[in-house]
Amino acid sequence: MHSTQPQNDWQTAGMARRARGWLAGSVTLGGMAAVLFVLHLTLLAGVIDDLTFKGKPFAAEQHTILLLLACLGGSLCLQWLADMAGTEAGLRIAARVRRDALRHLFRAGPVGSTTLPSGRILTSLTEGVDALEPYFAQYIPRAAMMVVLPLLILAMVFHLDGWSFVILACTGPLIPVFMALVGYSAQSIMDRQWMQLVVLGSSFLDSLRGLSTLRLLGQTEASITRMAAATDAHRASTLSVMKVAFLTSAVLEFFSSLSIALVAVVFGARLLSGTVDFRSAFLVLLLAPEYFMPLRAFSASYHARQNATAAAARLADLFALPDMTQPEGPSVQVPHAHTLPLAHLVCSDLTAGYPGKVPALQDLSCTLSRGTLTVITGESGVGKTTFLRLILGFLQPSSGHITAFDTTNTSVEVWQSRTAWVPQRPVMTMGSIAETLRLAKSNATDAELHAAAQQADALEFIEALPQGFATSVGERGACLSGGQIKRLALARALLRNPDILCLDEPTSDLDPASALRVARAIRRCATNRIVLVATHHADMVALADQCLHISDGHGELFSASQRACA
Amino acid sequence: MTPLTVSGFFSRTLRWPVVLGLALACVAALANFGLLFLSGWLLAGAACAGAAGLAAQQAFNMMLPATGVRFFATLRIVTRYLERLVTHDASLRLTGRLRVWVYTKLAPQAPAGLTDKRGGDLLSRFVSDTDRVGQSYTETFIPFARAILCGLVFAVISGLFLKGAGVVLALGLLVCMLPVPMSVGLLSAPRLRALTAQRGDFQAELADTLAGLGEYLTLGASEARIETLDSRQKTLQATERYLAALESGARSLMTFIGLLTTLYVVMLAVQAFHQGALSAPEIPMLALGCLAAFDVTQPLPAACQAFTRARIAAERLNAACNARPCVPAPTAPAPALYNPLDLIVRDISFRYPNTQNWVLDHASFTIRQGERVALVGASGIGKSSLISLLSRFYPYQNGNITLGGQDLRQFSTEDLAKTISVAAQDFHLFNGTLRDTLRLAAPNADDAQIAETLRTVQLEEFVQHAPQGLDTLIGDEGLALSGGQAKRLVLAQALLRNTPWLILDEPTEGLDQKTEYALMHGLIAARPDATILCITHRRTLIPFMDRTLTLAGGQICPAEEVP
Repeated sequence: MHSTQPQNDWQTAGMARRARGWLAGSVTLGGMAAVLFVLHLTLLAGVIDDLTFKGKPFAAEQHTILLLLACLGGSLCLQWLADMAGTEAGLRIAARVRRDALRHLFRAGPVGSTTLPSGRILTSLTEGVDALEPYFAQYIPRAAMMVVLPLLILAMVFHLDGWSFVILACTGPLIPVFMALVGYSAQSIMDRQWMQLVVLGSSFLDSLRGLSTLRLLGQTEASITRMAAATDAHRASTLSVMKVAFLTSAVLEFFSSLSIALVAVVFGARLLSGTVDFRSAFLVLLLAPEYFMPLRAFSASYHARQNATAAAARLADLFALPDMTQPEGPSVQVPHAHTLPLAHLVCSDLTAGYPGKVPALQDLSCTLSRGTLTVITGESGVGKTTFLRLILGFLQPSSGHITAFDTTNTSVEVWQSRTAWVPQRPVMTMGSIAETLRLAKSNATDAELHAAAQQADALEFIEALPQGFATSVGERGACLSGGQIKRLALARALLRNPDILCLDEPTSDLDPASALRVARAIRRCATNRIVLVATHHADMVALADQCLHISDGHGELFSASQRACA
Repeated sequence: MTPLTVSGFFSRTLRWPVVLGLALACVAALANFGLLFLSGWLLAGAACAGAAGLAAQQAFNMMLPATGVRFFATLRIVTRYLERLVTHDASLRLTGRLRVWVYTKLAPQAPAGLTDKRGGDLLSRFVSDTDRVGQSYTETFIPFARAILCGLVFAVISGLFLKGAGVVLALGLLVCMLPVPMSVGLLSAPRLRALTAQRGDFQAELADTLAGLGEYLTLGASEARIETLDSRQKTLQATERYLAALESGARSLMTFIGLLTTLYVVMLAVQAFHQGALSAPEIPMLALGCLAAFDVTQPLPAACQAFTRARIAAERLNAACNARPCVPAPTAPAPALYNPLDLIVRDISFRYPNTQNWVLDHASFTIRQGERVALVGASGIGKSSLISLLSRFYPYQNGNITLGGQDLRQFSTEDLAKTISVAAQDFHLFNGTLRDTLRLAAPNADDAQIAETLRTVQLEEFVQHAPQGLDTLIGDEGLALSGGQAKRLVLAQALLRNTPWLILDEPTEGLDQKTEYALMHGLIAARPDATILCITHRRTLIPFMDRTLTLAGGQICPAEEVP
């Protein structure tokens, strides 16, 4: 799925297309179940009529009864299959949407994704996608059944009795009309109270989120009273909407009760005068509630539609995130051995920033060369990370460009695939150390793992662990120390043998001894690479060849000797 | 008695809505039964009379049963509507009461007990868990209570006409009420528990993936990651499929049992009819009644699953609410503070619960009343943690802190709030107007004080230009404000409280230099006597302070002594 697709593909109709087969199966099976169900009612009416009025003994009806049971059994099995097909459709669509959404987030990249709050992305991906399931599993099949079963019953009744046909045929279509009318007024009440409902409805979560703030303000006691009042106000206003909203089902109830009563009374009078037979009267009475049943099931799943539409809107926001301009494709491959290594990276007049803000970097120019360790310094929030993001391709400069040259001084087109990154908090998935390392290169041999670990100064501690490379890292690396995680992440980055290595605050949160160890490991990596380190740490700066100091959006490059003078 | 138990449904405040909801649910079910029961008799009776000749036709009184049918029809309409309204109301009341209880229990644990180490949204979980427990009234309690009560009535009514029919119906209903839904419940319970755990894992992994998006990309591992998550999702969905199959299967089974019971009842009725113990119209009447009776059992399998879900939610809530706060509430009332309100920190060590790294390692410093002190240090080094300690959010493991000559351990966060105002970094702004936000901090502040404070924090102009002035809504989490405005609003909250101590965490972050200068200037002019501890990494703030402390390597020392 590509983001260039029309956005409405992420509306529910577009999603339904993805499981068309299952949905069609569900409706077909449901339809067949309905036919058998109606057949079983017909047989039942016949049996009761035979036993009551034709004076037949129970034994004479055995065959019909067996057939009757078979019909119902068949109908129930088919209905079960129909339900399962619907569930399958819902689950498949949810799975597809979730996978596509994730893929899209990867395409949007770490900078693009932050345009939406991360909490919202997470809820869209979990609860949001979950809300799609009942819509496809129940709402759509039920909507189809709402047409199939009543028409079937109407056709049956037409053959049985004209009056009943008129009653059902008139009340049936009236129901959606009235339901729409009532639904419309409920909606308008809801719209009017929308703000209030949202504010009051979220008051519990809002209070929980603000609990520390409330404590600091000394307002804990008062906030409990306020929360209780808000909860009650929310109940009251929800109820005022429900009073009208429930009328939709009351309308349904009214028509279905009315027509059952009407059928019974109308038939009663004619049965008395002997103008109709009991069998058809009884059958119509059995069929009448079934005529309204799908409508009732449909209106019960109506909120599934509302939830799904809301979720689809949120997902559409997510899918609307623009792609990073840097194509992701090549970065998947580990660079070929025969390509020449990169020798220089020339940044000229880079200006970059984030939408709606002052550019974080302005006209920054510098040359970074193979074999040098460059540290990027400056106060926090000054643009160090922005610079790294430009190098990594997560962010595009609004003007200026970065050019890469290989050892023969030829400019290289695709070079961002040769970068590696060790962020401040490296990813640690559950699994062994070897598995964590192989994230970078799934087919890496044990020897390669050893070599990379050795380079990153991680081999010693790994081999000291009880199970070596097979030791579990624990949840989020809980079994390892901060310094070990950093060195492991470095080893992982080295496994891809990158030409450019970027590190963000590699020594923060570390005690002085492990910080020094990490810094030295980074120093060793710089012999045949371009290494960039954003840092505050004095030891790290001391080991660098040059220093890019950023302040007020401008960068200044010092060599190690110049810095010593400064 | 906690609101988490079933008996919590019947606590004094909720008893009437809960009972009324159940009564209406039962009446609605009985009306439905009555409608079909009577209709069946009416049709068959009329048919019998019609067949028996003119005399019988005239003797047959249509009026009474027809009125009865209309009565039951009307009753069904009205009670079903009222039932939905009243049960929803009761369920919302239950949820509300539960939320207040949960909130009261969680308050002393904030923020230490309310952070989720696994990246999941713990707070949203409290919302959905309380919802789930509250809804168990409509989803589990009502269906079961209705089925039992009405089932009994149905059986008795049928039994009045034919004893055997009553017994058979009672047995059929019993099977559909106990073994079938219960086995659904038993078979679902372990899967539902697994599902809850798997959901949590999946959400945590998803959160990790979102946080590590960039690294996965540079590692070329994004596709592999998507595949891993996809396989997790498949496991989850297999469980969901199983649960759906079970519920739907049980419902089908119950419909089948319903028909079997009906046929058995018909057989008994026909026998009785041939023996002359039953009139002909009573056969279809019993048959229809029997079919209608099984309507009440339909929601039971889903109710059993809902029950397990609610139980899991209740257990989680119970565990969270009964957790011991990591800073126990002081047993004695807070002692009076002595003047001067000096803060003396001696040799304290601190690390977060369940972590190994010491944030503070035998750190000592003193701040005298009236001093203005800057605290600087690299990001992530523990400056904000120090605020948490001084606010009594976390306990310290070693050393002691005194404020105004009293040990800090004798105070709760709320006690200290009377003396210290904190403008924290991770503040929360409540959805409401600007005025609400400020009044939240200082309920008695008048408009003049508010205007004065807004001038100090350089927000006066913003408020004057805001469409509704002080009544402008600031949005969820203050999203209608810019970062800098939100920050200054929090500062205004702290200032309005007028406490002798002020702790400010990066008060001018996100401001341009001119505004920053004006703000600091105004702040000091407005509160010249206040003791201020200002955490910052901006050098421009240091001239406003009397002296600077540096936090590095777990130690706090005067800036000039830093090596």
